[in-house]
Amino acid sequence: MAATTEDDNLDDILDEWFIESLKTYKDLHVYQLEHPTQVIEWTSGKTVCVGGYSSSRNEMLELHLPLKLFADENKGLCAERDFKVLHGGFTDGPVRCLVHVPGTRFVVTNDGLSSDLQLWDLGGDDSDVIRRTGIVEGGRKRMMKSFSEGGSRIAARPSLQPQILHGAQSCDIQLTDLNSGRTLYRPGRAAEVRDSPRFVLTETDSTDLLSSLQFVSDAVFLAGCCNGNVYLADTRTSAAPQLSPPPLSSGESVLWWTDASTAPDPSCCRVIRLSSSGAAVVSDLRKPGGRAVRQAQLDVEGHHFSPDHVKVSWAPALDGCVSVSGLSRAVQIYDVSLWGAELQEVQPLFEHRGHVISSQQSDSGVSVRITSHVWHPERPRTLLSAASDGSVHVWDWIDQSAAAGPEPGSQ
Amino acid sequence: MPEIKVTPLGAGQDVGRSCILVSIGGKNIMLDCGMHMGYNDDRRFPDFSYITQNGRLTDFLDCLIISHFHLDHCGALPYMSEMVGYDGPIYMTHPTKAICPILLEDFRKITVDKKGETNFFTSQMIKDCMKKVIPLNLHQTVQVDDELEIKAYYAGHVLGAAMVHIKVGSESVVYTGDYNMTPDRHLGAAWIDKCRPDILISESTYATTIRDSKRCRERDFLKKVHESIERGGKVLIPVFALGRAQELCILLETFWERMNLKAPIYFSTGLTEKANHYYKLFITWTNQKIRKTFVQRNMFEFKHIKAFDRSYADNPGPMVVFATPGMLHAGQSLQIFKKWAGNEKNMVIMPGYCVQGTIGHKILNGQRKLEMEGRATLDVKLQVEYMSFSAHADAKGIMQLIRMAEPRNMVLVHGEAVKMEFLKGKIEQEFSIDCYMPANGETVTVTTNPSVPVDISLNLLKREMALGGPLPDPKKPRTMHGTLIMKENSLKLVSSEQALKELGLNEHQLRFTCRVQLQDPHSDPDTLHRIYTHLKSVLKGYTIQHLPDGTVMVESIVIKVSSSAEDPNTKVLLLSWSYQVKLSSFLMILSSPGISPV
Repeated sequence: MAATTEDDNLDDILDEWFIESLKTYKDLHVYQLEHPTQVIEWTSGKTVCVGGYSSSRNEMLELHLPLKLFADENKGLCAERDFKVLHGGFTDGPVRCLVHVPGTRFVVTNDGLSSDLQLWDLGGDDSDVIRRTGIVEGGRKRMMKSFSEGGSRIAARPSLQPQILHGAQSCDIQLTDLNSGRTLYRPGRAAEVRDSPRFVLTETDSTDLLSSLQFVSDAVFLAGCCNGNVYLADTRTSAAPQLSPPPLSSGESVLWWTDASTAPDPSCCRVIRLSSSGAAVVSDLRKPGGRAVRQAQLDVEGHHFSPDHVKVSWAPALDGCVSVSGLSRAVQIYDVSLWGAELQEVQPLFEHRGHVISSQQSDSGVSVRITSHVWHPERPRTLLSAASDGSVHVWDWIDQSAAAGPEPGSQ
Repeated sequence: MPEIKVTPLGAGQDVGRSCILVSIGGKNIMLDCGMHMGYNDDRRFPDFSYITQNGRLTDFLDCLIISHFHLDHCGALPYMSEMVGYDGPIYMTHPTKAICPILLEDFRKITVDKKGETNFFTSQMIKDCMKKVIPLNLHQTVQVDDELEIKAYYAGHVLGAAMVHIKVGSESVVYTGDYNMTPDRHLGAAWIDKCRPDILISESTYATTIRDSKRCRERDFLKKVHESIERGGKVLIPVFALGRAQELCILLETFWERMNLKAPIYFSTGLTEKANHYYKLFITWTNQKIRKTFVQRNMFEFKHIKAFDRSYADNPGPMVVFATPGMLHAGQSLQIFKKWAGNEKNMVIMPGYCVQGTIGHKILNGQRKLEMEGRATLDVKLQVEYMSFSAHADAKGIMQLIRMAEPRNMVLVHGEAVKMEFLKGKIEQEFSIDCYMPANGETVTVTTNPSVPVDISLNLLKREMALGGPLPDPKKPRTMHGTLIMKENSLKLVSSEQALKELGLNEHQLRFTCRVQLQDPHSDPDTLHRIYTHLKSVLKGYTIQHLPDGTVMVESIVIKVSSSAEDPNTKVLLLSWSYQVKLSSFLMILSSPGISPV
């Protein structure tokens, strides 16, 4: 309990940031999980799922966000600021990818060691245990050393039929029906073909490692690859997917991450691609191979990153905003409409530095890294972010650039 | 096998009334005696009928221990001690003993005067009850009787809160009460040594929560105060002298300094004196930072916070006022509230729970029109903010505490077992201990495996080692012989001789004799010699000696020969052996050919 001057100084730095946050955040909640997570997945408008990523046994938790966050009219009368652990379960391996199946109480996970997926039942009111109910086999059976070699990416079909798209490489993507276990679709092949020989995605066999899989509408999906290739495919046809190569010529060691904005009309969807050197390129889904609509050079601080932990995401309820984490020590929010057609340096609209500031409190010399972040599906400026020290923050930021008019927080 | 029984008392599953019965080593101990604040009838008291259907509890309980002064842990104390009846010892820490009666009296006043209840404890009952209290110091072992001992540990949470270690013989239980594992601005974090109790009892609600950081709560407080001040409003913060007042003052002072704010902050005088008095008394219960500040200056001397005068409430412009009592049920805080309630620019911040019947409780439930004395109604237009600053542990905290204390079993109270399966599994897996979750009124029985420590004398150990053979190991225990002496409170294993010596006893030897008749014409010495040679030939491997005093010894059996008086050919063999000898094999030898008994 003895307070040293060093502790006092660190306390002061943290106090400074908190006092500054009075003007920059509407809401701010800071939590400490027992074990860090690299997944945050919404299972309803008020609950999220997280999971540990240590090499052996891990916990998976379904958490209810603090009631105070949602008590809009009577916010003052609600004192509840804590997460409630609704359900919990144990996994045998790391949780590298976790996706919720819409309309159900199921989630699907992948441990990064093989392309097989685990299916879990989150449970209802009568029990608090998350149970594993099955396995979905992936295309590849080999055990891989690291995620980027073997781990699968997963996407759940937005419609109410419980189907998931999964794969580790561009050649083994498949759509599986969870009820029957049948493989419904493989790109470039006619539907309902099982045990078929490996199909050809392009003229040459392509075994691009995937960095993301995402449905942009109920039948159309995007497969983003680590080398910058993006494939657009339609599950209703057996036509080969459309390929668009990386927007900039990039070296061998450059990695790419992709996100597509899911507006109701797919014809005005945009895709953003982020490279490990900080180049961010926005293009139009109708002509993804075409010229970039907008681009920018983000400041990545020459920061050592982990490919698993980099994320770029369009804001679901804030037009034109994207968030980036994993390449620097903050979660950065950008307004894409301010970007030009040329690759130029830009400033973020907002930076959440909470993780790195509060981590200075701990003794370990390892610098903390942000492992994931996610936007609230409806509340325009609410995000959740997680870091390697086990911290999870829930924050609602204030747009300082909204010049005229009262600040959102001061009603 | 010995066992410990734990029973949380009372109806209802929700938190709000702590009262746990523990039976250990033949002793019955009650842990906390709380009131459920949500009920107006008998359901607010724990169900003592579990202990005895009628009559006083004195004969059934060895002691009662109160963990801290919150009403949900001590609210039913005067009822239990004076109305149901208990005259035995009541243990609590010094700060708890000082603060409890104040809170109980306030609570009594509200319930009787404001709500008009009749069957409630009186002021005199509170006084009589506190007379039975024996105060505890931290880490000091107290002998309740010659078998039961208790010890208090620092729990954080509020001033004077303790976790308690109960020991009877070699069985022990630790009860956490309310605690927290992260230090805050004026209290430290809970701490306990690796006492390895048989059972650790804790609240289950902690385990399903992940708590927002203290700083975020403080941030919210500062944000609200700042917003009101900026728009020219007045902020009233009703506090209890020993609650968060001190902490919130330090917070505001730091904030005012940093932001260079000019609005005045006031502290009602009664508050300062009382708080100062108690903090001085219990300085060892606060954290290091507070102690340092206290030594340097008077704790309530702030640059920006001044003493309040009644007339200031009418001054124009923004201001912040800390006033008692904390639930707005009477006194200065209520007076100020009445003056400020009509202006929507103003704000009242309630930093804690309010008992039913108080204005605080009503406005926290959203009531915007209040009935005052004389049928007057008050329109509540100011902003009402409810903030919870109380420090509680959470899921991570529980695991930390288990790691600290290393209990053999875990008991979680006040939860729904069906909804705690995950947590139970987590504790069982990580620590390989059993986790029990009794419902209120349900008893959980935990078998203990007490280890009985025994000292062994060095001589005995050396002697056993000298016997050679394989070294003893846990999978192949080796039998050894010794005598167990129970002296004072220790057990010793010593050799028989040493035992006799210590006890001052003489060793007695039992020797048996028998006479066997033989027909042998030889002389006595010759017969003896014949026996000697015969035995030597058939009893190979035994020590057989022919001694000069006219005896033959086979190991320790002595044989003498004498002639019968009547007939010199009839020899009488006198055999003598000590108690330890097994005679069966020897008798067989005697029936062998060569010697024919008569």
